[in-house]
Parts: sequence; structure tokens; C-alpha cells
Amino acid sequence: MNPVNFLLMRHELLLTAVAMIILIAEIFFSGEKKGWIRTLSISLFFIITLIGFLPVDSGSLFGGMYNTNALIALMKNILNIGVLIVMIQSNTWLKKEQNNYKTSEFFLLMISTLIGMNFMISAGDFLMFYLGIELATIPIAAMAAFEMHKSKSAEAGIKLILSSALSSGIMLYGISMIYGTTGSLYFSEVSEAYTSSALQTLGFIFFFAGMGFKISLVPFQLWVADVYEGAPINVTSYLSVISKGAAVFIFTIILYTTFNYVSYLWQDVISIIAVLTMTIGNLFAIRQKNIKRFLAFSSISQAGFILVGLISGTQMGMTSVIYYILVYIFSNLGAFGVATAISNATGKENIDEYNRLYHTNPKLSLTMMLALFSLAGIPPVAGFFGKFFLFTAAAKQEFYVLVFIAVSNAVISLYYYLLVVKAMFINKSDTPIEYFKSDFMTRLGLLICIIGLVVTGFASYIYEYINSLSFGSL
Amino acid sequence: MNSGIKLKKTKREMFKLFIFLSIIMLLAAIMVVVSKSPVSSIIHLIIAFLAMAGHFILLNAQFLAIAHIIVYTGAIMVLFLFVIMLLNLNKENEPHKTLTTKLAAVISGGLLFLVLLASLKGVNAIKPLNKFDSSIGLIKVLGNELFTKFIFPFEISSILFLSAMVGAVLLAKKN
Repeated sequence: MNPVNFLLMRHELLLTAVAMIILIAEIFFSGEKKGWIRTLSISLFFIITLIGFLPVDSGSLFGGMYNTNALIALMKNILNIGVLIVMIQSNTWLKKEQNNYKTSEFFLLMISTLIGMNFMISAGDFLMFYLGIELATIPIAAMAAFEMHKSKSAEAGIKLILSSALSSGIMLYGISMIYGTTGSLYFSEVSEAYTSSALQTLGFIFFFAGMGFKISLVPFQLWVADVYEGAPINVTSYLSVISKGAAVFIFTIILYTTFNYVSYLWQDVISIIAVLTMTIGNLFAIRQKNIKRFLAFSSISQAGFILVGLISGTQMGMTSVIYYILVYIFSNLGAFGVATAISNATGKENIDEYNRLYHTNPKLSLTMMLALFSLAGIPPVAGFFGKFFLFTAAAKQEFYVLVFIAVSNAVISLYYYLLVVKAMFINKSDTPIEYFKSDFMTRLGLLICIIGLVVTGFASYIYEYINSLSFGSL
Repeated sequence: MNSGIKLKKTKREMFKLFIFLSIIMLLAAIMVVVSKSPVSSIIHLIIAFLAMAGHFILLNAQFLAIAHIIVYTGAIMVLFLFVIMLLNLNKENEPHKTLTTKLAAVISGGLLFLVLLASLKGVNAIKPLNKFDSSIGLIKVLGNELFTKFIFPFEISSILFLSAMVGAVLLAKKN
């Protein structure tokens, strides 16, 4: 094998190299000099993100265990952008005295989970996929328990590791059934040998349950609220955006390639789960007082909307899902960015403490409003187009009832997103949050989100480009 | 002709052994769930694991059997025992479950069992893809496979271990 072929794995190799550099840098920069590690990690990661956009060949390595093509590289680039924003947003929080000494571990764990996600997306067989998903999950549990001095954070870590171990076990059981009945782990071979016998269907359902846990679909969502609330806010944003996005990507690929001949099977399952996920996520989000729990339930209902696009099984379905994830990264990280900035400056995380925020911090309020409008899907912002394409993809395949329920849910979600906006702009408060000036990195992170929201909404080129790479299963 | 009869006889013997191991394993597994004290649960779990190792040997997977005994019965069970001793479990702080929860658990567990049994119905129709290879479970073959065909996942798992180690350091680190 020609060593040049390894360049196909450019994303993962570079990430591994950066992880090693951070590990070594930890020896030289200790104590007061920890700030250098933050600068080093973020700038190295910025370079990686740029290199990721260089054109990539398609090909496969290690007997088809590792695949790459322009579509997969695009997914990795989308994740890279998201992780870059999360890293920039967490800079201020890591500067604090109680977190500073754990800086390099934070970046190292974040990068190793990203390596796992990249391998997961590039996987050509269930073995690599499973390894990737484990690598993408286990370090996050340590990250969720980052603030060990807070009992809620430790609890979040334990809850995450226990429930994800159970879900991995169920998924592995499903995969073993599929392997036992088809005789192969490779996605392409499974697709041909899959006859949807009873055992294979059960295997698929178990596999679906495991993925449903990762994407936080409704019967498997019980861990979400507690973990999101307990974990540090930057880890929460990472969990709700990056790890969910990566799971949606590989789920789409597997459904459209491995289970492409049995789309009737998963379309039935998904239509029910999508309705449940949207509705229950919405109903619980209305009642939340804490901004992190609020965003947790909002992210559950967003997962339901993503399923609506996924169900179609067409090229447009895949395009709309990838496009929506891209928009979702900017809008959700925008909302989380504002919450992070407020939490860093004042320690406040409840929605009623945001009252009158517009009068004291107008820029932050406007950013939050833009991000929430995008999540709700109000026309000029990118989120509207995202939802529009998701619903169109489903409607084209005549899932009219599902689309009707999804649109009603979008209206319900508008209500609770506007509750936060109302708190910031209209509600009265005697003790509003004082004016504060965020540091450069926080503002940079929010600026990237705003630019992303505007650009992805108006540059139709992005949608066209994703569409040219996507494929359908029908 | 003679060897054919011999093969049949071995198969019958192996089947008897299979039934014997299965009964032990099932009984031990039931005892794990049923028994009141956690320590006796663990002991029964060890028995179940040993019977499992016996199954692996029946399938000619010697390495897997040994690794199973060393890793599960040896290391992990000792860990379990330590945890139980340190947790100081007793009647008072036992989690209490309502009747509804228990009923729901029994019904959903029973349904899952039913579905599993039902889904095994059509399995006989599936033919094994490869012819049986008697050397398949040997360490030499396993090593060959691991370092040629599966070298990539093998290397990736090293990143997993590294990150798990860093995670442990993160949790234990004091300022």
C-alpha cells in the first residue's frame, strides 16, 4: 500500500497529531503558562478546519473499513466548524481559576471525541462504526463531570456514562443479530443480504434504539435534561450540537445505504418516533425555567424535526438533513454562546433572570433573539429555510399527516422561543443583569454564529453544493 | 464409515455437554437476579461466566474462553466485589420500587422475551457462509487476523484507551 493513500485520512490524522501535541505541551506549559495551551489548541484547530476544506479524493482504506468522499469530508468540515466555535466559546470559562489547571485535558478529550465522530462517519463496517461511537461517547462523560466540585456535574457524568453504556450494549446486541443473520459487518454486504426476516428486523430495532439514544429521540431521551443541566454549559453545547450532529450524519448514511432496500421498515418507525419526539420535546420545553434545561428540550424537539426530513429517503431528504444540521450548529451555538457569556459574567442561568436584558446588554439580546428565531424557523433567518426544506422533502414523499403535525409543532415551539425573547425585551425587572463587556473570544464566537446564520440563510450556493453531493436510497 | 459414526457420537456428547452448561448458566443467571444479598449475586454471576467460558470451548474458541475467565471472572468480578464491600449496602438504603414499576418491568421484560423467541423462528433457514474451520479460535489465527485484517480498529482502540486514561486523570486531578 502506498503511504500517500493515508492522506485520505487527513482529518483524523491531523486531529490525532494535535491531540498528541497538546499532550506534550501539557508538560511544558504548567501553572501560570496554561493560557498558551488555550491559544495553541484553538489556533491549531483553526488551521485543521482550514485544511479540511481542501479538496479530498474519494476512496477507501483497510479493505473498505474506512471510506471517504466529498460528502463525508463535508460532514467532517461542518463538525469542525462547530467544534471550533465551541472551543472559542469555552475559552473564557477555562480561564477561571477552578478550571484553568484542567485546560489541556478539556481540549484533548474534545479532540478525541471528534476523532471518534470522524471515524464513525467514515466507517465502512459496523465494527469501525461501533468503535467510533464509543470513542465519541466515553470521553464526553469525563467532560460532563468536569466541574467535580459541583455534585450536579458529577451526577451528569455518571448518568451519561451509565445510560450510554446501556444504549451501546443494546445497539451492539442489534448489530450482533444483523451480523449473525447476514454474515457480514460491511455496510454494503449487509445491504445485499438483508432480507428483513424477524431476527434482522429486531436487530434493526435494537440498532435504532442505540442511535435514538445518541440523537435523543423520545423513548430514549430521559437522560438528556439532567445531563444537559448538570454538565458545564460548554460541554452541554458540545453534546447537543456536535455529538448529535455526528450521530445524525452516520444514521442518515446507514439508513440510506445499509437499510436502503427496507425503507418501508424504518419509515414506519421514524414517523411515529418523529411525532413523539417533536411533541414531547415541545411540551416539556414550555415548562422549563433553567436556560440549559430549556435548550435541552428544545434540542429534543429539533431532533424530531430532523427526522421529518430524514424519513423521505430521497436525495432531497439527505440534503435537507445535512443543511439543517449546519444551520442548527450556528443557531444553537449562538443561543448557547449568549447563555455562556451571561453565565460566565454573572453566574445566572434562569430564564426569569434574563428580564430586561435588552436594556442593559442590547447586543447580547439581539444575538440571542436571532439564534432563537432561527431555531423557531422565522423567515428571514437560516432556520426557516432549514425547516422549509425538511418539510418539503417529507411532503414530496406524501407524508402529509406527518408534515401537518410537524408544522403545528413548529408553531408550538415558536411560543416558547418567544417566551425567552419576551423576557429579554418586554418583561419588567427590578434587578436586571448589569451591563458587562465580554472579552474578545466570546464576541468572536458569537460573531461567527451570526455570520453563519446570515450566510447559510442567504447563500443558496451552500444548499446547491450539499445537494450535488447527497444521494437518496430510493 | 467408522469415522462417521464416531463423529456422530462426539456430536451427541457435545450436545449433552451443551445442555449441561446451559442449565448451569441459566440457573446461575436466575439466581443473580433473585438472590437478596449482592455478594451471593456476584458469586452466581461468576458461575454463569464460567459456564459461558465452557460454551466458548465447545465452539473451539480456546483463547476467548481463557480471556473471558481472566478478564471477567478474574478482574471485573473482583472489582464488583470491592465496590459492593465499599458501598456498604444494607436493607435500609435499598432502592424501593412501587408495585406499578415492578409490574411494568415484568410486562415489558416478558414482551421482549416473547419477541426474542418469536424472532428466532425463521433462523434455521439461514445457512452459514463459511465452511467450519477448526483452527478458527486458536490464538495464532486470532493474532494473524488482528494484526492484518483488523489492524485498523485495533489501532483506533489505542486512541480510545488514551482518551479514557486522560478522562480518568481529569476526574482525579486536584489543583
